[in-house]
Amino acid sequence: MSEGVRLEEISAADFFYRNKSLAGFDNPVRATYTIVRELVENALDAAEMAEKPPRIQVLMTEYRGRDAGSLPWYRIVVADNGIGLGPEEIPRAFGRVFVSSKYRLIQSRGTFGLGGTMALLYGQITTNKPFKVTSARVGEPIYEITMMIDIQRNEPVVLDRRVLRGISRTSFTMVESFFEGNYPRAKRKIVDYLHQTAIVVPYADITFIDPDGNLFVFPRSTEKLPPRPKESLYHPKGVDLELLQRLLQATKARTLKSFLTKHFQRVGEKTAMEVLKLAGLPPEKKPSKLTNEEIERLFRALKSYDKFLPPDPSVLSPLGADLFESGIRKELQPEFVKAVQRPPSVYEAHPFIVETAIAYGGQIKPSGEIQLYRYANRIPLLYDVSSDVSYQIIKRIDWSNYGIKSPEDEPIVFFVHIVSTKVPFKTVGKEFIANVPEVAREIELGLRNCARDLRIFLSRKRRKEMLRRRYELFRMYYQIIAETLEELLGERPPVENLLERLRIRVGDEDGGGAGGKEEGS
Amino acid sequence: MEEELEVKRKALELAKEIAERIRRGEFPEIRYPPNSQKNILFDEKVGYIFSPRTFSRIRGSRVKSLKTLAGVLYGLSRALDHLENGLTMTKRDFYYVHKVERLKGTLFPEDQRETDARIVLMELILGMPREAFSITSDPRGWIYGDIELIDRSGRVLRADQVGEMGYSVPPRPENIKFKRIGVKAVVAIEKVGPAKNMIELGIPEERKIAIAILQGQASRSMRRFLRMLSDEGVPVAILTDLSPWSLRIAATVIYNSINSAHIPYLASPEARFIGILTKDVEEGFFKDYQFALEPLTPADLKAAQDNQFLPNLQNEFWQRENRWFLEKKKKAEIEIFKAMSPTAKKLKELFVEYLREKLDEHMGISI
Repeated sequence: MSEGVRLEEISAADFFYRNKSLAGFDNPVRATYTIVRELVENALDAAEMAEKPPRIQVLMTEYRGRDAGSLPWYRIVVADNGIGLGPEEIPRAFGRVFVSSKYRLIQSRGTFGLGGTMALLYGQITTNKPFKVTSARVGEPIYEITMMIDIQRNEPVVLDRRVLRGISRTSFTMVESFFEGNYPRAKRKIVDYLHQTAIVVPYADITFIDPDGNLFVFPRSTEKLPPRPKESLYHPKGVDLELLQRLLQATKARTLKSFLTKHFQRVGEKTAMEVLKLAGLPPEKKPSKLTNEEIERLFRALKSYDKFLPPDPSVLSPLGADLFESGIRKELQPEFVKAVQRPPSVYEAHPFIVETAIAYGGQIKPSGEIQLYRYANRIPLLYDVSSDVSYQIIKRIDWSNYGIKSPEDEPIVFFVHIVSTKVPFKTVGKEFIANVPEVAREIELGLRNCARDLRIFLSRKRRKEMLRRRYELFRMYYQIIAETLEELLGERPPVENLLERLRIRVGDEDGGGAGGKEEGS
Repeated sequence: MEEELEVKRKALELAKEIAERIRRGEFPEIRYPPNSQKNILFDEKVGYIFSPRTFSRIRGSRVKSLKTLAGVLYGLSRALDHLENGLTMTKRDFYYVHKVERLKGTLFPEDQRETDARIVLMELILGMPREAFSITSDPRGWIYGDIELIDRSGRVLRADQVGEMGYSVPPRPENIKFKRIGVKAVVAIEKVGPAKNMIELGIPEERKIAIAILQGQASRSMRRFLRMLSDEGVPVAILTDLSPWSLRIAATVIYNSINSAHIPYLASPEARFIGILTKDVEEGFFKDYQFALEPLTPADLKAAQDNQFLPNLQNEFWQRENRWFLEKKKKAEIEIFKAMSPTAKKLKELFVEYLREKLDEHMGISI
């Protein structure tokens, strides 16, 4: 920062307002997609928190048509069957940006941790209309709250609050908002997003009625939810300087030693003492009293200390191979699907798990391009596929080893799901995964693992197909032979017996797996 | 007629055997002697000899082989049908006989080579030439001269009284019988033009010779016919261009060819190649007419190179002749007589002089 510039303090909401592109609101098309996505993810989180199979309904209608020089306004309503919110919680949950204090480590869905608030804020900015949240818990009243966000002060402003019904039989939340956007051009991305989400959240029922009146239904294939992630403390190598500062300010620990053991995993008293010795800091010092220089020393000591145990992966919530396959089956109806969950691994002190899958044939059609579905913490990534590390790995693998001539021209879809407390995105756009060696290795091993099963499937399938074609040829030729002999001798020989024998032979070989090779003559 | 019955007998025998195997629940197969190198011998005195020592099997238990088996049966059924109805077909016809709707995906041929190869296979299986089972070529080759013959229909014909070029040799000359032969020799000539000139100049009548017009490579029927004449004791002389191709034409008349080695009675080992020879050009009849030689084309040269390895051109004579092409890169055509003769009268003199000299030198015949 140059001197003489007057620094102005701005609120988080204000910051967002000035930097829309960071959060995926660069243009009306992208914004339309992002709004749907953020609200759907919020809804999914709410339902999963209730440990219920989510049922999400999205309704989008055109509220005000396009007129000269301005885009249409849309009304969007997203409802979930989640935990529901009380009347006091609603303004706090939706009316302020950066509402959650993330001092704890847990795998979460929202890419920015902002939930749908940004989406609602965007609507407010473009239409100057308030948004409405209706929510209830079982047995409690249904509240409907109409509100706006005070951008400068980053505070909710409740405009209206009413009770719609005294006692609700279900718990739910429904958000209704207006925004200026461009649905026709965002349609494909939105539908893709929902389709890909339906794969990775196979236990969710999702319906979407779009502004054109189309109904999209993504029914669940299972009621089984993956295990909830456990919350845990940060790993000492997984914090950055800023987070360390915030933790030091907020902690209730009275000494540095207890600060380290209380707020970090894998740090006991002995380790804490060693770290502090390395940092040259007294163990009894009060955390909030550290100078900037001391904080930096502590930070460097945490980074250079090499005896921490690797981070605890139980904070992660992978989908699991069965659920992954179930989602893929229901959405793509492939002939073959194989999903693999790799064991937990670590990069830069961040635990992660890679899940991969390959689907082949059935309703899948070749597209002339590599078909790759990428997910990070159960969110589909739809942009910049060719920059993604998974894409590069798929390009690099020699697929002919697995019975695939070129993945572009065959009915094959690849899936890569990374769950991590810190997904290694390459850019702030958070749309593709960087080429981190540890992560790349797991992706490649996972894909190869799936591909081995695919190869076995394909060679069986091709062999079966070859035998079938061979039998068909035999049938046709013996047909000709029979007809010709009948013409020459006046009697048709019983070629069917011969063919029957052949068919049994073909059947045998089929059951026995790999047999001898077809001999030429 | 006898031959027709034999074809039918053999074909039905094969059909019965296949049907029987199928009835027994076995995969049928056809055993036959392939016309591979192993089964073909060459003997200077008799030409190519088909001497089966190895046999192949067409097996109904293998996809590829099965196609051949079905194809042979189908081909035979078509052949018998034609035979019974007194109809012939060409190789092209035979190809079209397979281009039928119900054979799509099975015997429907990709091109004629497929069905041509099937014909050779049928010849090997039956041990009979394709002409015997109604697949004939367009007739090619004429014989002109004082030869009285009785053709298939029983008519008596004189080969110098049936048209400008004489008697057109039919596809199946076996049925011809000779009634009277009034010629001292038959001269088989590669080119139509010079042969016609000799006829037009009255040489056959005056010199008591017959002219066989080959029109390029001698057809199977022509070779069979020449062999029949040879068997009747008629000396056969061969007059071709002096070119790499013509060596093959002459050698094929004398020894038969590898492709048809399995067909007997096509070689005429008694026949003599009288010209044009290299010595005729170098020091003999044409020595003053070097200027009328033609350069070899690249294809000619390639043929000369290949000639070095043909089994029927291996003796010293053929190789010496062939070396001349490789060295000189020239050839002489029979039409060279035209370059030597300003008038028709002169042409006749030259033809007669050349034939007299050559027939005398090579065959001891004076005309």
